[in-house]
Amino acid sequence: MSTDDESFHPLGNEWEGELEEMLDDTEYDSDLGMKMAQDAMRVTKGELSEAEFHEMYHDDVMEEFGVDDRPTEAAYEQAQEEQKGTATRMLEAFEGDGEESRRETMKKMGVGAAAVGLGAWGTVDDGPEANLAAADDHSSYGKVENDGTQLGMVIDLERCDGCLSCVAACQEENQTDQGVNWMYVLDYEEPDGDNSGSRNRLVRPCQHCTDAPCEKVCPTTARHTRDKDGLVLTDYDVCIGCRYCQVACPYGVNYFQWDEPSVSTDEIKQTADDMGMDGDHMTDHRDRWVDSRAPRGVMSKCTMCPTRQDGHMGDEKVGTTACEDACPPEAINFGDMNDPESKPQQYLTNVVQTRAERMVDGQSPNRENVQESYNFLEGDVELLEMEYLEDGDHDEIQAALFIQGELAESELTLEDEELREVVIDIIGDADALAELEDEELGTLADVLLGDASEGDVDSDDLDAANTAIDAVITDAEEGVQAVVDRYESREITPAEVEESLALLDGEEEPWVSEAGITDEGSAQNVLEAYAGGEASTFKLLEDVGTNPNVTYIGNEPGPEAEQVEGPVAYSDIGGTDNRKDVLDEKTVGDAGVSL
Amino acid sequence: MSTKTPSEADILRPVNNVSKKYFMLFGAAALALGAFLVAWMYQLANGMAVTGLSDWGSGGGVTWGLYIGAFIWWVGIAHGGIILSAAVRLLDMDRYMPVARLAELLTIAGLSAAGFYILVHMGRPDRMVTSVLGHYHITVNNSPLVWDVTVITAYFVLTATYLALTLRYDITRLRDQLPDHFEPFYKVMTLGYTKDEDEVVERMVWWLALAIIIMAPLLLHGGVIPWLFAVLPGMPGWFSAVQGPQFLTIALTSAISGVIIVAAAFRRAYDWDHIMTDDVFRGLLLWLGFFSLLFLWLQLQQNVVGLFKAPVNVGVAQQATLAHPLYQLSMGLVFLTLAFIFAQTIRPSLFSRTRAIVAAFAVLTGTLIEKILFVVEGFFHPTFEIYAATPGEYFPSAIEWLSLVGTTGLVVLIFLVVSKLVPVVELHAVEHLRGDHGHGHDTDESETTKEVKA
Ligand code: SF4
Ligand code: SF4
Repeated sequence: MSTDDESFHPLGNEWEGELEEMLDDTEYDSDLGMKMAQDAMRVTKGELSEAEFHEMYHDDVMEEFGVDDRPTEAAYEQAQEEQKGTATRMLEAFEGDGEESRRETMKKMGVGAAAVGLGAWGTVDDGPEANLAAADDHSSYGKVENDGTQLGMVIDLERCDGCLSCVAACQEENQTDQGVNWMYVLDYEEPDGDNSGSRNRLVRPCQHCTDAPCEKVCPTTARHTRDKDGLVLTDYDVCIGCRYCQVACPYGVNYFQWDEPSVSTDEIKQTADDMGMDGDHMTDHRDRWVDSRAPRGVMSKCTMCPTRQDGHMGDEKVGTTACEDACPPEAINFGDMNDPESKPQQYLTNVVQTRAERMVDGQSPNRENVQESYNFLEGDVELLEMEYLEDGDHDEIQAALFIQGELAESELTLEDEELREVVIDIIGDADALAELEDEELGTLADVLLGDASEGDVDSDDLDAANTAIDAVITDAEEGVQAVVDRYESREITPAEVEESLALLDGEEEPWVSEAGITDEGSAQNVLEAYAGGEASTFKLLEDVGTNPNVTYIGNEPGPEAEQVEGPVAYSDIGGTDNRKDVLDEKTVGDAGVSL
Repeated sequence: MSTKTPSEADILRPVNNVSKKYFMLFGAAALALGAFLVAWMYQLANGMAVTGLSDWGSGGGVTWGLYIGAFIWWVGIAHGGIILSAAVRLLDMDRYMPVARLAELLTIAGLSAAGFYILVHMGRPDRMVTSVLGHYHITVNNSPLVWDVTVITAYFVLTATYLALTLRYDITRLRDQLPDHFEPFYKVMTLGYTKDEDEVVERMVWWLALAIIIMAPLLLHGGVIPWLFAVLPGMPGWFSAVQGPQFLTIALTSAISGVIIVAAAFRRAYDWDHIMTDDVFRGLLLWLGFFSLLFLWLQLQQNVVGLFKAPVNVGVAQQATLAHPLYQLSMGLVFLTLAFIFAQTIRPSLFSRTRAIVAAFAVLTGTLIEKILFVVEGFFHPTFEIYAATPGEYFPSAIEWLSLVGTTGLVVLIFLVVSKLVPVVELHAVEHLRGDHGHGHDTDESETTKEVKA
């Protein structure tokens, strides 16, 4: 691929030449077209706003075409209220994939914008780097190609921690042998690329390809696509174990059952019964044996859990997979890739928002916490009533307030003994009292609580103890103030994230105070800063023509990428990475060398 | 050259004599086959884990190995054999008439070995019939493996018919001198034979030969078998339009080598120096040289295209292949053979039968290595080579090695058995060598022969 510096388009000079030729073919001014194209690219790179772009060429376009139908028109009008989206996104409005419709569209939308649009449509034949313009165009994926259900996944690689929870969960659910990693997660390095910054990790289930080569080559139809939901499955009763599917699959996701599996079918059935499954976890709704580990001599691979999809594990498991359930950062999103409303498609349309929603869930200080902090500062709420305290512990505050006489004995919720312990803890942490024995601390506490006389202790110690008690309150109060300060300084806290999410979700005034996030532009910035900018999406080896149903968000591994050790080893989760280590034990006359 | 005149008695000698050496060879071959059968039973009982195979990808191995490599090798020998025999008949290459039937038998034996390998390679061979035939109408549209099985079966039937037709002629004429204990077999073979059919059969055989030659590039080793690999874009080591022609050259070189070895063995065993003359060997060697040249030329194509400025995946795969010592050995063997063959053309004194046999063995070894490596290297360097465990490791297990011994035993056994049943040299060939291959009609001519004998 020639990406020349002097070419404005990421596809390089050659493409640019082609474009120029195409423009020459049309009846319109190709110089104007090229200039517009160049600036349109600048729009996608963020160097120029859509509104500016629109304005720059409005007169020229009117003169040339007599009408300015460019999609940026909308942007121009909406520029003030909506800042998200790029020229490319706007171009989606114009459907088109064939050569004819490209040309028509070009005329329709103005040649300059077409240059960008074509970049987006040209994705199929080009490598990942070429698709700068297309990178942000999530919604081109999962375009409804057929009406039927097509289960698949959207996997956010930027969220994956490499913890291998999904691998372990899959192995447990399907009771596969050691090394049969239907789900596989790997870290990789690019040979000369920069491997420092962004995450280079891949989560690799079976891609459940729409045009699955494994299925095409199968001499028995054992490997087949289930009509109901598009899952690519293996009929363990039909497979002859020729392994051609494993040969034809470009992703290396198949695992043959080379020997007797370690878990028997009886055991699988037993587990299914124990779990109260409405089935044996092996046969699906058509009565075909397609789920759980394969028997000896046949092929297996990731199934995307047909037992769950058929409702055999209860309604709540329909539309989930074991790996998805197990993923702590929820990087795996399983569902119908043909349904724009589905979990994965929703995730794709709003990567940053969805990511942020999940990340912020359960985090503090949230909007309520900030509100509460304001309320405290205004005297509407007592310190002890605060739910969220950045700096401070309710028990300690209670003890301190009691000692200071702010709290009546009847208001205490702590038992005497607990109270004493808390006080000892507070004063024990004070630097000035670090030297004291436990017993001396106890006496000090008793003095503070009025259970001993002041004469029993050194007065310096007593002063220090009182200071420590006071500090509990001041620290807590300062903590509350800090929450508000941070909020007002627009530091990105969960509260800001929540506000941004709500704001972009169309809520009228989701902010706690005007000092928070009140405009959509900042909201978008907050989310991007918090959850990462929209990373590009890709499908694995898309040009091989398998039409995979797993879409990734994150870095696409290049052709020379090579696996490196990940944060968690397969042995750490009780698994095996390289299955050959297991299989070699059974090889007759293992020579220990390799061809 | 021998001055002896070939006679019916000559070609009947294997049928009517048994020697201690025959029994010894039979015993050895049966032992070889038996040993592998036992090993196969062990494999069936314990699963394919007894092989050195594993999953490619995170599994650190290769999915297909020696079994498939040897399968292609045997199919190559078989397909080359039938092409050779068809060419002899079609183009009236009378010089090679004495080895035509041997080539056909090599086809039958080679296909048997290959068919056996299909079973051996499978995880569930017991389901072959139900699973494959049961869905044939669907899978035949897509699966190169189904095409393969179809074509192999078709060629087995075709070759068997071809062989049977020419055998009827011979058996009828030589019936009196054939052993009586196989009477039922001869009866079946000559069922409904009339002299009138000779002419028809001859024409049929000619058309069959034509069909074989025409379909060879497409349906035999030039098409269906290489498509098993060449059509898979995920494996750059295989994904190439040159595989068809390449496989065909391998088939032809292997088959010619096979015929040289078998012919030399029979010549030695039955004093057939006046039938399988040095002239035949010289001729075969020349053809071997020619196809070896083609073989090397196509290898060169692959290397140049794969190394010059290929896409990353293709480049990696080709580089690895070229750098592999076994690849170099295989190419070296074929190249040395080629050099020898050219040298002996220029200087005929360099020829000797022993050298021809050595050359044939060298080529067969070369092609076997190339085939196994071809299969294995495909898995070592897939497009998606991201896995730490890729390229994986593979070395055939003892059982896999034994399969080579076993199938060779099977092929030898087939020759030994057939040679006791029917003449392995055609009557036509003897007639031709004797010079009484009249210009008139074949039927008339053989009729006279028969009368003379009577
Ligand atoms: S990834 Fe695609 S080709 Fe590979 S096994 Fe899954 S469906 Fe088949
Ligand atoms: S191993 Fe089984 S599923 Fe795979 S291609 Fe062969 S018969 Fe089909």
